[in-house]
Amino acid sequence: MHIPDGIIPVQAALGGYVAAGGAAWLTLVKIRRKYKNPREAIPRASLLTAVFFAASLVHIPLPPTSVHLVLSGLVGVILGWFAFPAILVGLFFQAVMFQHGGLTTLGVNACLIGLPALLSGALFQLRRYFGRNRAVPNALLAFGGGFLAVAVGAFSAALLLTYTIPAHLDAAAERAAIIALSLAHLPVALLEGVFTALVVLFLLRVKPELLELEA
Amino acid sequence: MSSIFSARGLTFAYPGRGHVLDKVNFDLAAGERVGLIGPNGAGKTTFFLLACGIIKPLAGELQIAGQPVVPGQFYPEVGMVFQHTADQLICPSVREDIAFGPQNMGLPQEEVARRVEEAARITGIEGLLERPPHRLSGGEQRLVALAGVLAMEPRLLILDEPTSDLDLRYRRRLINLLAAMPEKAMLIASHDLEFILEVCTRVVLLEGGRFQADGSPDAVMSDGSLMEKHGLEVPHSLTGTWHRHRGPAPGRRDLPG
Amino acid sequence: MFTLAEKTTARSSFLHSWEARHKLAGITALIFSFSFVRDLRLLPLILAASALVYYLTALPPAYLFARLRLPSVFLLVPAMVLPFGSGQTVLARVGPLALKLEGSLALLLIAAKFISILTLAVSLFATTPLAGLAGAMRSLGVPSLLVEMVLFTYRYIFQLAGDLKRTGTAATLRGFKGRSLLSLKTLAYMVGTLLVRSYDQSERVFQAMTLRGYGRAAVAVSATAPCRRDRLALAGALALAAFVILVQVLVL
Repeated sequence: MHIPDGIIPVQAALGGYVAAGGAAWLTLVKIRRKYKNPREAIPRASLLTAVFFAASLVHIPLPPTSVHLVLSGLVGVILGWFAFPAILVGLFFQAVMFQHGGLTTLGVNACLIGLPALLSGALFQLRRYFGRNRAVPNALLAFGGGFLAVAVGAFSAALLLTYTIPAHLDAAAERAAIIALSLAHLPVALLEGVFTALVVLFLLRVKPELLELEA
Repeated sequence: MSSIFSARGLTFAYPGRGHVLDKVNFDLAAGERVGLIGPNGAGKTTFFLLACGIIKPLAGELQIAGQPVVPGQFYPEVGMVFQHTADQLICPSVREDIAFGPQNMGLPQEEVARRVEEAARITGIEGLLERPPHRLSGGEQRLVALAGVLAMEPRLLILDEPTSDLDLRYRRRLINLLAAMPEKAMLIASHDLEFILEVCTRVVLLEGGRFQADGSPDAVMSDGSLMEKHGLEVPHSLTGTWHRHRGPAPGRRDLPG
Repeated sequence: MFTLAEKTTARSSFLHSWEARHKLAGITALIFSFSFVRDLRLLPLILAASALVYYLTALPPAYLFARLRLPSVFLLVPAMVLPFGSGQTVLARVGPLALKLEGSLALLLIAAKFISILTLAVSLFATTPLAGLAGAMRSLGVPSLLVEMVLFTYRYIFQLAGDLKRTGTAATLRGFKGRSLLSLKTLAYMVGTLLVRSYDQSERVFQAMTLRGYGRAAVAVSATAPCRRDRLALAGALALAAFVILVQVLVL
């Protein structure tokens, strides 16, 4: 899902930066409004960002091979509005340290991964209607958040790539490409959903306050 | 006396750095309790990781209970408790964490449950079984980590700085615990030299890639020049004198009331 | 001094001494202008320019190749799709597949841009300590909240990666293999554990910093005074970037 440098047109990359800049500005406004002293939340949000960065390095088995998880759903669930700047920072480090994802495409990737994360966070907050501490609603909403964050992101990435790559494909080939790219991410999306649910269940038992940060 | 662990010509170096271990030979008999002392960075933890098969030596042979150590293979005969126990405890409850090892050994449910109860009983933490490990004190966490390892019923126990974050009560509890397990061989790395004196039957000093000394705790640790040469000190109980760092001690001041 | 490259580059070179703000602005302009390239005739220019910039870092070529190796794996996908799926002019037949000219050229364009942009990025980040980078970002308009998050996150990335690795080692020592889908639960526990520990640690970090005055003023970022060489280099970079863009818009 991380789009590298050099393959999408610069207009798309710049557009991505504009969109990401706007989203970052909006979320920062929300953050400033919510916290009297937002800098109080920075150590926590940053440490959790570092956790997600480290966790994204773990090999998760998906027989016959293994994958790296994006964990954008989990970031959204735990950090709420902070998820967008956190993902922006996380992507920055991934691009700089491992050249995973691009620098010109930082804005685009932040939108593709960060915006669905915000959606997942919002979805997870619905748990207040089903009993905040009941395992089943938490697990289901967490699964939904984890799954959607990746599914929506992958689908959007597929759309973007298919319509912007300088290649002369006909309409049927384009549709096929979008479907193929999206379907390829389905197992990962399911895996992320399950993983997110498992982590949320763990936190519910051990430290439920972590799920209340953005309530 | 059968050898529970042996190393021959063990050599290891981290890339870009000098040899941490240089053709080291070592034998540990069943029931022997060896204290491993040496300055920080001498390679004690590296030695342990090699012994468990976690990292691969550059040269040399290792054997556990007669079988050669193949890096990457699981050896339930060896149980290691890390210096930072927080790295070791992962499950939401103490009971599940202790069960982790036996479950990975493929044991049936009843056996796993029995081992959990037994390990909790030995370490005295039955009351903590349903608690989340993260909320426990440092001492309690160390006992939980130890229980998790004991539940695998290892023949060799490796302890890396086991008293580093224990208050005196838990430290004493650990000493009594270890004394009550004479059948287990132990390899203990520690800066707490008094602890080593109480628990171990043999002491080995590691520095510069080699074992610089190997003998009874009294013999090795009361050799002042040897200890100081390797950045250590003779433990107080062996000096026979009271070592004062400051001026003459003031008389005791009785507080009013 | 932390550079974002793992192997700290302790040499000095032109790029090491180029002032951070000018360097960031110059290289960013080059990166964006190179990503604008659509005409194959500009490829030799951008590749040569990137190579020159890397040469000015005095870093060994092996370092660059090591950084390029993994991410280049992504090129396999367009390499399989484009030359066979895109275009009309057939160059050769490989069994049932037809190798097409337009698709092959599209692949070449993507690959060359990818390599030149990554070379520039590696040159930038391997020669700039994070503190300087943060200061440069701040003065180029990035919100201070984000800059502070970058600094804080960086501080803990290595520690947490180490914690996770040790946790994995401890689990392996108790028989964990991590190869079947069932190990998902244990892996989730490990990530959850790290989250809980980090949350607790962040409270302590915040307390310790507050005791030393954090939170009362915006984080001051030091900046070195630029000299003429810095400005000239920036002007050169901007000129090249402008050339790459304009020559495509006006001439080609």
